[in-house]
Amino acid sequence: MRAVPRPPLPWGWAEPQPPVLVAAATAGARVAASAPARRCFPGRRYAGERGSRRWRRHQGAQALLRVVRAPRGEQLLCEASTVLKYVQEDSCQRGIYGKLVCTDFKIAFLGDDESALDNDETQFKNKVIGENDITLHCVDQIYGVFDEKKKTLFGQLKKYPEKLIIHCKDLRVFHFCLRYTKEEEVKRIVSGIIHHTQAPKLLKRLFLFSYAAAARNSTATDPKNHTVMFETLQDWCWELERTKGNMKYKAVRVNEGYRVSERLPEYFVVPTPLPEEDVPRFQGHGIPMWCWSCHNGCALLKMSALPKEQDDAVLQVQKSFLDGVYKTIHRPPYEIVKTEDLSSSFLSLQDIQTAHSKFKQLFLIDNSTEFWDTDIKWFSLLESSSWLDIIRRCLKKAIEITECLEAQNMNVLLLEENASDLCCLISSLVQVMMDPHCRTRVGFQSLVQKEWIMGGHCFLDRCNHLRQSDKEEVPVFLLFLDCVWQLVHQHPPAFEFTETYLTVLSDSLYIPIFSTFFFNSPHQKDTNMGRESQDTQGKPLNLLTVWDWSVQFEPKAQTLLKNPLYVEKPKLDKGQRKGMRFKHQRQLSLPLTQSKSSPKRGFFREETDHLIKNLLGKRISKLINSSDELQDNFREFYDSWHSKPTDYHGLLLPHIEGPEIKVWAQRYLRWIPEAQILGGGRVATMSKLLEMMEEVQSLQEKIDERHHGQVALQAEASSLLRASARLSSLFPFALLQRHSSKPVLPTSGWKALGDEEDLARREDESVDVGDL
Amino acid sequence: MWWGGRGQSFNIAPQKEEPEMGLSGPKSVQGSRMPERRSRQLGSCMSSGCLPGEQILAWAPGMRKGLEPELPGTLICTNLRVTFQPCGWQRSQETPLSSEYDFALVNVGRVEAVSGLSRIQLLRPGSLLKFIPEEILIHGRDFRLLRVGFEAGGLEPQAFQVTMAIVQARAQSRQAQQYAGITLSKAGQRSSSRKPPIPLLEILEDWETERKKQGAKGWRVSTVNERFDVATSLPRYFWVPNRTLDNEIRRAFGHFHQGRGPRLSWHHPGGSDLLRCGGFYTASDPNKEDIRTVELMLQAGHSDVVLVDTMDELPSLADVQLAHLRLRDLCLPDSSVAEDKWLSALEGTRWLDYVRSCLRKASDISVLVTSRVRSVVLQERGDRDFNGLLSSLVQLLSAPEARTLLGFQSLVQREWVAAGHPFLTRLGGTGASEEAPVFLLFLDCVWQLLQQFPAEFEFSEFFLLALQDSVRVPDTLTFLRDTPWERGKQSGQLNSYTQVYTPGYSQPSAGNSVNQKLSVWDWDLRYSNEQILQFHNPGYDPEHCPGSWLPRQQPSFMVPGPPSSVWLFSRGALTPLHQLCPWRDSPSLLAVSSRWLPRPAISSESLADQEWGLPSHWGACPLPPGLLLPGYLGPQIRLWRRCYLRGRPEVQMGLSAPTVSGLQDELSHLQELLRKWTPRISPEDHSKKRDPNTILSQSC
Repeated sequence: MRAVPRPPLPWGWAEPQPPVLVAAATAGARVAASAPARRCFPGRRYAGERGSRRWRRHQGAQALLRVVRAPRGEQLLCEASTVLKYVQEDSCQRGIYGKLVCTDFKIAFLGDDESALDNDETQFKNKVIGENDITLHCVDQIYGVFDEKKKTLFGQLKKYPEKLIIHCKDLRVFHFCLRYTKEEEVKRIVSGIIHHTQAPKLLKRLFLFSYAAAARNSTATDPKNHTVMFETLQDWCWELERTKGNMKYKAVRVNEGYRVSERLPEYFVVPTPLPEEDVPRFQGHGIPMWCWSCHNGCALLKMSALPKEQDDAVLQVQKSFLDGVYKTIHRPPYEIVKTEDLSSSFLSLQDIQTAHSKFKQLFLIDNSTEFWDTDIKWFSLLESSSWLDIIRRCLKKAIEITECLEAQNMNVLLLEENASDLCCLISSLVQVMMDPHCRTRVGFQSLVQKEWIMGGHCFLDRCNHLRQSDKEEVPVFLLFLDCVWQLVHQHPPAFEFTETYLTVLSDSLYIPIFSTFFFNSPHQKDTNMGRESQDTQGKPLNLLTVWDWSVQFEPKAQTLLKNPLYVEKPKLDKGQRKGMRFKHQRQLSLPLTQSKSSPKRGFFREETDHLIKNLLGKRISKLINSSDELQDNFREFYDSWHSKPTDYHGLLLPHIEGPEIKVWAQRYLRWIPEAQILGGGRVATMSKLLEMMEEVQSLQEKIDERHHGQVALQAEASSLLRASARLSSLFPFALLQRHSSKPVLPTSGWKALGDEEDLARREDESVDVGDL
Repeated sequence: MWWGGRGQSFNIAPQKEEPEMGLSGPKSVQGSRMPERRSRQLGSCMSSGCLPGEQILAWAPGMRKGLEPELPGTLICTNLRVTFQPCGWQRSQETPLSSEYDFALVNVGRVEAVSGLSRIQLLRPGSLLKFIPEEILIHGRDFRLLRVGFEAGGLEPQAFQVTMAIVQARAQSRQAQQYAGITLSKAGQRSSSRKPPIPLLEILEDWETERKKQGAKGWRVSTVNERFDVATSLPRYFWVPNRTLDNEIRRAFGHFHQGRGPRLSWHHPGGSDLLRCGGFYTASDPNKEDIRTVELMLQAGHSDVVLVDTMDELPSLADVQLAHLRLRDLCLPDSSVAEDKWLSALEGTRWLDYVRSCLRKASDISVLVTSRVRSVVLQERGDRDFNGLLSSLVQLLSAPEARTLLGFQSLVQREWVAAGHPFLTRLGGTGASEEAPVFLLFLDCVWQLLQQFPAEFEFSEFFLLALQDSVRVPDTLTFLRDTPWERGKQSGQLNSYTQVYTPGYSQPSAGNSVNQKLSVWDWDLRYSNEQILQFHNPGYDPEHCPGSWLPRQQPSFMVPGPPSSVWLFSRGALTPLHQLCPWRDSPSLLAVSSRWLPRPAISSESLADQEWGLPSHWGACPLPPGLLLPGYLGPQIRLWRRCYLRGRPEVQMGLSAPTVSGLQDELSHLQELLRKWTPRISPEDHSKKRDPNTILSQSC
């Protein structure tokens, strides 16, 4: 093949002729883009709306904008009209006119075309963030186009661009043409957007607080949410009990009121023999803290390193202190403790940051030409970003630790400077692999709550929400989600949640109405809420947690977060089982053993029993340096696990060979229209699956009725999936459906062909080849 | 030797003791003089796996390596295959031809003998082994690797012999192609009137039926090549426009490369026609009438003709071969590529790049075919490789019928087997240099489609794998001949040959001899019923999108083209052409190279806008139902792991649990349960009893 890059595409963002409004009503209805106004919290009553004076001041403008409902406490900062937004639908040049507004919550584009407002198709809609909304925290980079040249915008501008390009952290790319907008408005909106997204902010100026203040009076009904928040001593005790770790570990309240350290949660768990007085000595540094206990009694611990000291005397003190601590945990009943130093021998945060910024560039695409250019070298570009390699290393480390806990019966102590970045990542990964509870939705949420929120992961800094330091911005949590995605992708039936769940969770990082990801530590959260409450009405702020999914999604849409294939662990107790029946999402009708031994491993292999062991022997080639004893153990463990049938309710290990680590396509490709496969993708299988599940369910009901005379349960297969005739691979994020199949081909045929000589040469070539 | 099949069993005298066994040289004779105790122990074991007509040439005890734990057993070389039989392993009687341990001789790629740490000899046909091997490495062309270490202790001569036997047998199999004769199998046990599972397109009626099915009214079946005198590479019958006479066709075809003139491949229900033909034979000097005929045939009654330069933007045959070899090197378990360099190494093979360009081109062409009533002519110089690939892909994309199991098999039979794809040469069976796995490239493309549209295909990945494997199993002629002519010639001999092994076989009459032919589509020769059931994609959902089945006539999608326009489709764009044939104005050779030059258009933009693309109203309405537009972006083209990484044990173990089929099992289990409890069959009970025989033998 001659690797001729495709000529630029016809729609490559050339300027459309004004006014290229979406003319036909039918077409307009499809451009769901013009339905943003109502996305401001529909279905909720906002008592607080009238509370703000500034709000009232803007009411005129709001009426114009047809913004009927906005998030409580949202304030309009600036706006510009007759802005042209480029629509990526179709390969033709097209744009929609509308208003670009910037509030203290988001940047939003409100289309002039009202017809879309009535368009109430059952889409996977986010109630908080519309498809044309960008929360201020979600903005990654802003570019301006000046005379066809693209420049990064920051600080004070001397000249204002004709076109604004916004790259979002969730990888959306927006193009706004400002050519037809009044100069005054351009100045105001551009500088407004730049200021509000890029200038450093104070914590107290986060929208979170205005929202919470405005929402204070509304009585938020606490949703049925079983996520354990780990905010009370009781939560920790339950967790100890659940993992049977209460024999060797105890929950302590030393840090109540953050007396010892502001870095640590109020309650945490330490080894039972450890004297509580030891904890405050180095503000909690050097103290092994319990993460999780394995079924065999081994535990995963983490410890933040002691501060580095030059002074010999202090070093001596530190040493003896540590010796004491180690002695405690090396004595029975703890047996061996293996220390895993994550800050020296593992990834650095710098690596992660570099890799991710390279990686995301592959998906932040301004125009199709750029896209096709990079497409040819896709794999090498992907590799050079080394993001996938970092994922592999994380998974591998987690498997190594799993091996120690599971196979060697060793306790593992993770060591990191603050025990709040890679510690969180690795310990949660280990738990996802080892603890089936963490693979349920509630369990996973509790895990994030325990390891990340209470573990003191600095979300505020790592996400750079306050724009204070770009250096600190490291997507550790995203890396974790990507690792989990690999597991979900490789073993879908083992997880109660879907990849869509992970995707929307990753999006929620940037929505500043949830408190979950907007603090550096529980202490920071508590103090900021507390002071507020004293200042005003003495009532604590009502902060939402991200785990209340009903804030973002209608119940119908929430079904997409649930994996229909997940089967809860069957209860052994028969009597109990009958009672439990209807609590389960789905139950196996077949005996579990059968599904285990079904010949799914390998195709067309003879699977006589005595051979199976031989056949399934395996190795990880290359990956392992066999000289190392540790590596040998690892390899043996990994091989032997993979050679056995998978128990989805037991230990779960990922494959980590080169071809097995994949790109999280749903998250990274969802906004790229070229990547859409109409009528294809995994969703096609999903809808079939759901159909079959419904059938299974109805049959189960029948059987139950016949036998137990019990009431039938409702079939809950998502109607979202069945409603649309032909879903695309980007479902449920396919906001820009490619309706026509206008081929991605150049229109002016023969410019692309080159000159005559070239043609003649090519002709000769092909004759030559043929003659051979 | 014992061979048991369903219903019948019959005995064949053990080959080992027959004097004929010496045919292949003294080694086998020595082989039978094996140490007494071993002979007894191995006798039953080895012979159980033998097929009628199969002869054991040499064997040696050994240890399979590379996969852990190591497996003791015997390495056997027969005139059909190299097989490693683990101790105590019994060949499945259901599927005697394929097992994990078999390497058909055609499948044997590189053979290396190893002694000690340093001595490695690559064994080419005819080369002599210079030492007693301690280990032999057999690289399968199907991406598997067999490593057998030989035992020491008196058995070294045997190791030597078996190694040499493998080398020789492989060389012989190439030259003599005798293995085709060993078509044995279960055919003999069947009743004599076995109907081919799909129409093999060797008789006139098949073509006529297929033509009617496609609704190609303006076309007829031509019998001009009935005696293969127009071209041996063409099928006996093909479709030509109604109005052209046979003698016109004969003359017109003479002006094409290797006599492969324009023929109908597929008639789109909307009215378009997809044609394929070879390159114009530039040295000929056709008269005006002939030119007129050629033009008429290319136009096929349409005013709008698009000539597609097939090879444009597609890899050359040599490229495909090189990419395949590189891919194999990368995927074999002993490849030395580091994990973190895997992706760029994969990219370096360029295989996925080629897959992508095929998909892209096919997608473009299917839009050409669907968007307007026109005649689309695929032109490739030889018309035997990429024309078939593109035409099949286009049909898969635009015709839901082609995505069924039967439809796909007929498609392959028509566009590849009958159309004369030189399977033997391309798959390296002749040892000629023109090896290029175009067909495997096609299967990869189909797999990509399957990945992207999991609900649109009736067949599963396993079916594609089975087809891929069948290419290397020499039991039917389908993939073992280059042309329909050779295939027809051979199948006569085949019939008489099979009789030898078929006691009680009724004498075939001349009339039904066609029916006796076995093709690769007789899946039950090689696969058990259980496996055949897996050919079905449980996620297949033809009602997935209502109206996905294209009604017969859909003129609404079709806009008639401008009067008499002729276009060349090349480099992803349409170019106006003056004329269809290169000869008219200047019959000299010099003019030929400039024939494609576009006529300077007055306004290229407007012309192009007017011409290219879909009817304007498509912007608002969904795609024509049934048309699939594949994704061909970097991240969407994937590596077919189950196929290429099968040599790696870690990949063999199903990564993706067959969740859909698991559910289906559960469903049928529940239905069963319900039926048991219900005295009469409840109306909701629509359990589908799936029987592979009914599935595969329904006639189209």
